[in-house]
Amino acid sequence: MSEHTATGYVCPYCRLNSDQSSPACPNCGAPVDVREARDDEGWVEQPPIRDMARIQFGRSQCQIAGTYVPVAEMSLAPGEQVYFSHHVLLWTEPSTQLAARPMAKGWDRRYAGMPLIMMEASGPGRIGFSDNDAGEIIAVPLEAGRSIDVVEHHFLVATTAVTYDWFNPGIWWDLGTGSDREYFHPLGRYMDRFTAQQQRGLLLLHARGNTFIRDLRQDEPIYVVPRALVYKDLSVHMNIHMERPASPRAHWKLVPMVKLTGPGRVAIQSQYGFDEESHYGWTQVGPNGTWRNWNPDPSRWRPKVNEREPLYP
Amino acid sequence: MDRIACSWCHYQNEVGATSCGTCGAPLNAADAVSESGWRAAPRLRDMAEFRVANITCQIAGQVVPVAEFTLTEGEVIFFEQHALLWKERTVCLTGKNLRGAGQRKIAGMPHAVIEARGPGRLAVSRDASGEVVVLPLHPEVETDVRGHAFLAASQNVGYDFVKIDKLASMLHGGPGMYLDRFVAGQTQGLLLLHGYGNVFQRRLGPGEKILIEPGGFLYKDSPVAINPVPVQKGAGFHHANWAELTGPGRVGIQSMYVHRHII
Repeated sequence: MSEHTATGYVCPYCRLNSDQSSPACPNCGAPVDVREARDDEGWVEQPPIRDMARIQFGRSQCQIAGTYVPVAEMSLAPGEQVYFSHHVLLWTEPSTQLAARPMAKGWDRRYAGMPLIMMEASGPGRIGFSDNDAGEIIAVPLEAGRSIDVVEHHFLVATTAVTYDWFNPGIWWDLGTGSDREYFHPLGRYMDRFTAQQQRGLLLLHARGNTFIRDLRQDEPIYVVPRALVYKDLSVHMNIHMERPASPRAHWKLVPMVKLTGPGRVAIQSQYGFDEESHYGWTQVGPNGTWRNWNPDPSRWRPKVNEREPLYP
Repeated sequence: MDRIACSWCHYQNEVGATSCGTCGAPLNAADAVSESGWRAAPRLRDMAEFRVANITCQIAGQVVPVAEFTLTEGEVIFFEQHALLWKERTVCLTGKNLRGAGQRKIAGMPHAVIEARGPGRLAVSRDASGEVVVLPLHPEVETDVRGHAFLAASQNVGYDFVKIDKLASMLHGGPGMYLDRFVAGQTQGLLLLHGYGNVFQRRLGPGEKILIEPGGFLYKDSPVAINPVPVQKGAGFHHANWAELTGPGRVGIQSMYVHRHII
């Protein structure tokens, strides 16, 4: 997966020109001297950033400490800033300036359970961030003009060169009609979109468990459990997909999934919660939704009250 | 005769030892200290063994580590009831009420501990991924620990609690109303804590300050003062508080912390 260009070594994990002679990629912290761990299905394990590895961004530096619940320690140069959600802040030196960073569309964010206000830290000074789950920190350096889509609650911290927006991913289904209508959003109501506008920026994400990445070819599909998805390239198309497992006796609930179609990169995490928002049928699904019933005789299953059995392919 | 000093507990080990005899810290691994001065608690190797007085302790597991004790006849350790994982039949368990049980109950802390008396083996663990932090307590040294981080201690370690000064400190300082206080008697004692996630330690000089997310605080030396400090007034953050720790002394933090809503 690693490549060599006229300018040198391209890091397979951040896809930027890197330095093969250093033990870790200076852009994303991924170890350079490890063999790629790729399974038979094409998933590549993102190697955890080594304890105390350093990442350079602008005139500032980030150091990743710890292995179970890693901490991102930043040494901010004068005038350089990062922003983050307040609950990931672990410690700070008194010299670091903290300020509130109000976000647009406050009502939408409140409605979606996202933080209304972010915090901004300005150098000079040191500051530490960590999330609350065992897992890995993923460093995503973004070249100017590049964007990625991130599932909510994975964002840790970003430099101010990276803008933060959000959008409706269209991953939903509903149940019932009229006042009984209920919507389900297995991926969250919104997804975060991070874009480096004028210059390169650094984005740090936190994933639970281990992280795996896969580069999808043109029109190559992969079906992922919604809560396992961490991020995807903008070029990766996604829509909701419902699976009904075959069962001779029990009436199985539907299994909602996200269908991701290349080209582009997707990343998943190995620890994700069980999604209880599942039912036996739906009324409508999000745009371009698909489904598949594995039962040989679909007519044997009757819908529950107020639930309409989906159409079968 | 040459000795190897453990950089975590300062015990003088014999030449050739690969892990410290009193805290289990690897002796042949480089110290992990970040540029900010935070020193990672020693990652105890799986099955690392160490000994304090007549108590032998072995740390097993990496993700949710277990501390296994081998007690000789009459040797005692104590721990909170729900930390007990397994024991051999010969180990005698005795409940022991703590001073100020009513206050501890109000503060949501256990008001009794279990004493286990040898001979025999037993094991304790907490229910979250993290690290076991071994703090050999030198005589007369006092260490303050946040509630629910205590794993086990030897009998010669005094276990008490201290009320946090000032109402604002109780409400906004982070650890709550009380801190557990451990102090060794005339001989060296053994104190084991469980830190959620990774644990880091920093030694503050006299008057040196550090601001910590209150849920990330794990332990401190008793001379270190803890006070709440507002993060920023206005703009929705007026309820946010830091735990401001002022040296001199050691401060320990955990990276997977108890988050408190501040808006």
